[in-house]
Amino acid sequence: MNGAQHILDAFHRHSISTVFGYPGGCIMPLYDALVDDVGVEHVLCRHEQACALAADGYARASGKLGVCIATSGPGATNLITGVANAHRDSIPMLVITGQVPSGLIGTDAFQETDVLGMTLGIVKHSYLVDDADSLPAIMEEAMELAQSGRPGPVWIDIPKDLLLADVSDARFPRSEPREISFPDLAEALTMLRAARKPILYSGGGISLAHAEDRFRTFAESAALPAVVTLKGIGNPGKHNPYNLGMLGMHGSRAANKAVDECDLLLVIGARLDDRATGSLDGFAPNAKMIHIDADAAEINKLRPTELAIRGDLNDILETLTNALQDKPLDIGDWQKQCRTWYTTGGFHAADNEEPLAPITGPAFVRQLSRIAPDDTVIACDVGQHQMWVAQHYDFDHPRHHLTSGGLGTMGFGLPAAIGAQFADRNSTVINVTGDGSFMMNAQELATIRRYNLPVKLIVMDNQCLGMVRQQQELFYGNRESQINLDDNPDFVAMARAFDIPALHISRTDQIRRGIETILAYNGPMLLHVAISREENVWPIVKPGASNREMIDETRRTSKKEHVA
Amino acid sequence: MKPQSQSSTPSYKISCRMSQEAAALERLCQVVRIRGFRIATMAVESAGEHLDITLTLEGTRPIAMLQSQLEKLHTVAEVALGQVSGVRVQTA
Repeated sequence: MNGAQHILDAFHRHSISTVFGYPGGCIMPLYDALVDDVGVEHVLCRHEQACALAADGYARASGKLGVCIATSGPGATNLITGVANAHRDSIPMLVITGQVPSGLIGTDAFQETDVLGMTLGIVKHSYLVDDADSLPAIMEEAMELAQSGRPGPVWIDIPKDLLLADVSDARFPRSEPREISFPDLAEALTMLRAARKPILYSGGGISLAHAEDRFRTFAESAALPAVVTLKGIGNPGKHNPYNLGMLGMHGSRAANKAVDECDLLLVIGARLDDRATGSLDGFAPNAKMIHIDADAAEINKLRPTELAIRGDLNDILETLTNALQDKPLDIGDWQKQCRTWYTTGGFHAADNEEPLAPITGPAFVRQLSRIAPDDTVIACDVGQHQMWVAQHYDFDHPRHHLTSGGLGTMGFGLPAAIGAQFADRNSTVINVTGDGSFMMNAQELATIRRYNLPVKLIVMDNQCLGMVRQQQELFYGNRESQINLDDNPDFVAMARAFDIPALHISRTDQIRRGIETILAYNGPMLLHVAISREENVWPIVKPGASNREMIDETRRTSKKEHVA
Repeated sequence: MKPQSQSSTPSYKISCRMSQEAAALERLCQVVRIRGFRIATMAVESAGEHLDITLTLEGTRPIAMLQSQLEKLHTVAEVALGQVSGVRVQTA
């Protein structure tokens, strides 16, 4: 068995059935081995960045390890954005690249780049294989590392000669299961019982720990008013009456107000990102904090915490749930106050009742949320549409909302949707994108067509980079700079060129029919939605300001039309 | 003529034991830099399969934050903090 065959063998042993990749010179031995391997489905994307982002989407939607493969040099450098995206959002990913033959490393050989050196800051760990016999142990360790603790991408760079070299049938060490002592939760319960205004603050760590069900049970039975980060959307479930929605820069007034007033923050699986907290000086100024997280380096990183807890999140949540069921918290006044804030300051944008009116982003997303099946996976891109989805789509599970939270990668949505569709061929997967983001990985329409994936594409087209335009309007004296995209291609014709049918809508009375048409179609379909160029995401907190200083539509400086 | 200014930057000594691997020192230095510290001195000693590294660092951020980030590195076995050497006055 050579190195390439061993990699495929390791995939089999770890039940990895789908990988995303693009061949090239130095990775050719692996592609040669794939010819004889029928157990691994290789998805050929049309750009290495899309391979990494598709592997990311696959991992987010399935909870499994995402795998991407590329050749040396430009293949590896094209992966970098996708791998950085996975790193920032702690997505379990295995990256395999070919490298120039061992003897040519350091000679500026054709398609040589120092992959190990240039990727140090965007991986959980990385390897440059220097001995074929070390490959088995490296493969085992890499797959374990990528998925354990706080997950993340692990990159293995393998010289071409070692892919071809015989790998001895070495016994590789199995990693010992880690023993984690169960934390004492008595102090946490004491703090929760002493609090008069506690808030449950959850993030992406819930689904990373596969603790979605236990979290939901805890949130419902504890009846704690709850806020979520962008990656935590869906954690409390759509029917939790105490869910105040997303906090932060584009969070709800209710969520930011409740955090501002609370006296205890119970933070679970979140890292207090600046987009969520705003200026830390003004963040939850009266609150003590309990921080539960898998990563010790997140404790006290940005804000001192009174109590830090590490351990198996499922066990912790079960213990807390049982304790609070035995003796519920006495926070009736606070619950009532938070509900009032939610009624007046939640995301309740009214639908536009005027049938011929232009389509607004919030109204479209609310209709989509009502019409799409409950288990629909929405893969967003980055920009205004991403925030409208976060604000107005009613998610019932965090794995239904795929979004580039940490890195904010335009071009994420389409390949992520491809990955999600491979994770479950029968699920409804919709890529909600903008005209700017769509063009960043539009070549992947060819991948959708090739594999006949029934991915639905919704392009919310405002003919500009809307989020940048909005910030230029609000924070740069309305001086628009390099945001105009009014020379976009005809997206409907473009989709059809890839043999993907497409529809165009522009009026409010066309929303329902447009959404129902693409959902009913048996195959991929694109819906082009023309929206106003001048529409903004409200509310907004100026970058660097406190979440108390939310700006709403009444502060708009533009003279142009207002939207609902 | 360069402008004369004074700044005070805390200085720390930190010892680290990590596995010998292709990018060991780069990996360590990359974390030190991105987390806001400057390496003033560095001593490296090879000890079998390990490297023992002693660093003198300058930086204004909490050193505990850097320690926890270094401890996250898969190939780092141990990180020990020396005594804070006090506030050093630096003249630019």
